[in-house]
Amino acid sequence: MIEFVQILIEGALVGLVYGLVAISFVVIYRASKIINLAQGEVVVVGAFLLWTFTEGMAGIGYPLPLWLALLLTLAGCVAFGWTIERTVFRPLIGQSAFTIFMAGVALLILLRGLAQLVWGAQSRSAPAILPEGALDLGPFLVNTRLLIGAVFTILLTQALHLFFTRSRLGLRLAAVAEDHTTAHSLGVSVRQAIAVAWIMGTVVATAAAVVLLSGSILSLEVAVIGFKALPVALLGGMESIRGAPLAGLIIGIFEALASAYLDPLTNGAASGLLPYVVMIAVLLIRPYGLFGWRKIERL
Amino acid sequence: MLTLANVDAVYGGVIQVLRSTNLDVREGQMVVLLGANGAGKTTTLKAISGLLHADHGAVTAGRISFAGQDITHAEPSEIVRAGMVQVLEGRRVLEHLTVYQNLMVGAHLRSDRAGVKADLERVYGYFPALPELAGRIAGYLSGGEMQMVLIGRALMARPRLLILDEPSMGLAPILTQQLFRTIGRIKRDEGLTVLLVEQNARAAISQCDYGYIMEGGRIVLHGSRAELEGNQDVQEFYLGMGGGAERVSYRDVKHYRRRKRWLG
Repeated sequence: MIEFVQILIEGALVGLVYGLVAISFVVIYRASKIINLAQGEVVVVGAFLLWTFTEGMAGIGYPLPLWLALLLTLAGCVAFGWTIERTVFRPLIGQSAFTIFMAGVALLILLRGLAQLVWGAQSRSAPAILPEGALDLGPFLVNTRLLIGAVFTILLTQALHLFFTRSRLGLRLAAVAEDHTTAHSLGVSVRQAIAVAWIMGTVVATAAAVVLLSGSILSLEVAVIGFKALPVALLGGMESIRGAPLAGLIIGIFEALASAYLDPLTNGAASGLLPYVVMIAVLLIRPYGLFGWRKIERL
Repeated sequence: MLTLANVDAVYGGVIQVLRSTNLDVREGQMVVLLGANGAGKTTTLKAISGLLHADHGAVTAGRISFAGQDITHAEPSEIVRAGMVQVLEGRRVLEHLTVYQNLMVGAHLRSDRAGVKADLERVYGYFPALPELAGRIAGYLSGGEMQMVLIGRALMARPRLLILDEPSMGLAPILTQQLFRTIGRIKRDEGLTVLLVEQNARAAISQCDYGYIMEGGRIVLHGSRAELEGNQDVQEFYLGMGGGAERVSYRDVKHYRRRKRWLG
């Protein structure tokens, strides 16, 4: 029983980190209606930026204080998100979904290649921003890093929800998420809103990289997180900020259970497969996800 | 206040929809734009609000000016900032947001919190049904309620010129009457200028100060309310009154009469 609860806790915490990456999908999708297939690569680039400003700078003899490193990373991913929007997706506004899909695939391969070119293919130890170790909660052990990440995800979700429903900029983005023509007619600059959304999505993805990689191994393989979080975003609903962490919980817990009880029987295949089984099931049964926007048809 | 001078508009680079359209909206007036489907009314409004680009259209000739400012090729956001808001046809509420959020989106360019709050109260005053609906998801409202949200949302931007594209579409006659009465009241109380496109000619003409009639992308007739009401063609085609003793069928008269008087 204790073991079972332990599995649930770990699954839930990892799931909330998936939720964090899923939020970055959602923020971008709401404004631009683009599912960024390269979001995993964005996480990797964010992580490498952070590495550059911490370990990298220290390695060449210029160690930066942590706050400055974080600030530079933030500035770096703002510029990075803006560049992707500006150079790849803005010129494609109005093009078919297929064109945009292919551009996403191209971007994925391009970023993978660029990351390898700039930072090399070898694995590195990622900077330990969050405390390592485990918290003793009675009979259970809780990974401190994941716990902080989970709490951060929940707080960020609530903050973004308030942002999108209360603030002027957030309402602008919400209007763009609903309908570009209507947003135009209300004087919203749709282009600006899409650029803001890409920047926000990139920043959230980098925050996920910090939580996910703090003190562990940083390599190009980390990009897999993108494709793990995509089913989470779909399950939560591509328009729903608050759906993402909830869907993350569901998928994280199922994955942990599968990993504990099914993997021994399936040579470890079950837990890796599960998110995609969920994804296909969602697309077949409820394509707009748990809390996504269904087109309201009035009779 | 708003002037269109010899405006041409083209869709997709080839389809010309507006041909040398001239229109003048004076401050404080309610101006109505009438015409059959496809006459170019909505295109005129979109050209004014800078919304043609979304439909792959563009103004190719002429000049549109608002309050002394050339807005021919201005961005929609600049135009709203200058004090002109358009309510598009087809009840485009932000359907997954609440009524309150819809109204607040209307005020997204304003930073004067107190003013926004006061305007919200004013909007609730014009549409007393709205406060109760504030928390409801806008996509599930009835057509009449949506129209209140849309006009309220436009007012939240505190416009000087309000443009309405077929606000009565799909509403019951009694609701249409109420709506026009409210629009008239808002116009008086706020000192607002209104440009209105309508299919419901009778209701629209009865409220307007001045009217334009479009056909085939041109303004073919314009005049004050009294002039329009007295015009035999307007009576026949828009107000449903027979021109002579016996009723003439629309088909018989369509080409002959219209060409003869308006274009001849």
